[in-house]
Amino acid sequence: MLNCLNSPTSGDIIFDNKSINKYDITQLRQKVGMVFQSPTMINGTVIENLTLTQNWIKDGEAASESDLTEILEQVGLNSEFLNKDARSLSGGEQQRIALARVLLNKPEVLLLDEPTANLDPQLAQKILKLVYGLYQKLGLTVILVSHHHSAIKKFAKRVVYLVGGKIIEKGDADIIDNPQTTMARAFIAKEAE
Amino acid sequence: MTQSFYAITWMDIFMSLIFVAISVGLIRWWKIGLEKTLLIGTFRTFIQLTAMGYILTYFFQQHHWSFMVGLVSLMIVIASYEGYRRLKKYKIPNLFWILLGSFFFTVFIVLGLILKLILSVEPWFYPYAMIPIAGMIIGNSLNSATLTVNRFVSEITHRENEIEMLLSLGAPVKSAVQDSFKESIRAALLPNINGLMTVGLVQLPGVMTGQILAGIDPLIAIRYQIMIMYMWISTATMVDILVLNLVYRQFFTPQMQLKRELLRKI
Repeated sequence: MLNCLNSPTSGDIIFDNKSINKYDITQLRQKVGMVFQSPTMINGTVIENLTLTQNWIKDGEAASESDLTEILEQVGLNSEFLNKDARSLSGGEQQRIALARVLLNKPEVLLLDEPTANLDPQLAQKILKLVYGLYQKLGLTVILVSHHHSAIKKFAKRVVYLVGGKIIEKGDADIIDNPQTTMARAFIAKEAE
Repeated sequence: MTQSFYAITWMDIFMSLIFVAISVGLIRWWKIGLEKTLLIGTFRTFIQLTAMGYILTYFFQQHHWSFMVGLVSLMIVIASYEGYRRLKKYKIPNLFWILLGSFFFTVFIVLGLILKLILSVEPWFYPYAMIPIAGMIIGNSLNSATLTVNRFVSEITHRENEIEMLLSLGAPVKSAVQDSFKESIRAALLPNINGLMTVGLVQLPGVMTGQILAGIDPLIAIRYQIMIMYMWISTATMVDILVLNLVYRQFFTPQMQLKRELLRKI
């Protein structure tokens, strides 16, 4: 919703002290970058995927090859990937390209919707470490949605439990191991099954 | 036979039912199960064309432009409804009005160019030119528009994730659907472009055949056919782009969100 792909059924969303309805939507979406559960690559090379936004931002400065290499390095890849067919890459590599593509928009907030759901646990940890590194290096606000509470507890600062679209508990990372509400405990027990 | 054309009789039409009988026989033999639809189609062809014959005869006897413009407008309204009926399953908002507006715009521009600029018909509403040409433009517009909208809906359903990804990066709606748009136009125009490639080689088009049967010099008939082929491609291009420009907007909210519920209904 913060990226405005969906609208809230009631209430308002305040971003930077301003209702998101008052933002220009394309600008808001550039400020609030989103990485989906399953990365979607367009048909073409990694370069074509990374420079997608240049198709509609005509007055922006085109990213040079060194910019693209730098961004790939930030997500743990290298310049050898630039000319590869994006759709032939592995799930983990595609997820990194998707992340790099969002970072090229220079977002202030990064929304990650279950970014590791389709990855094996080792690769999932790598991606989470990478995101944490980006958070530290670039000072981004990162909002990560996950069902794997144990996997994220190393990285989370603030945690919100959402069940059926309602906040049932919020607090610091300690509530991952020691939730205070019965509903949150039941949720964790159900996930652990 | 000394006359330049053979005036077909109602008895000849009755005899031509032999072709329908052959088709029904084969359909039955192979248990394809289309006999009823085919018979309804056969009956409708007879009724509709006979009625059209009488209507045309009546209109051709009138000498006022309002009759011709009225008839062409009526044909456009019927074509828009038929297009709406064919595409109703997609529940696209405002579809009838989109088709109506696009058909009106395209038909009157192409018709105007042909009657005034190319053929220089006098008077400009000369029914023997205006009505059949309008009929061809409208028929072609209808087929091409339904083809392009069908393909567009299938493309955006298939590319839903890609479109949402592009929107999430800040793409305007037009950029997010650009590939679907292009593919749909290509799919609808290809039959017309293929027609330009093969006409005269593997098929003799209906208009030309009709004119030759009616005793017109083949060299005149081909000139008409060439003009019609060019007219078809321009009509299809105009109407497809116009219709799709209005249709794609119906799939998005003013907040540039994809109306997923429309795709779910498909």
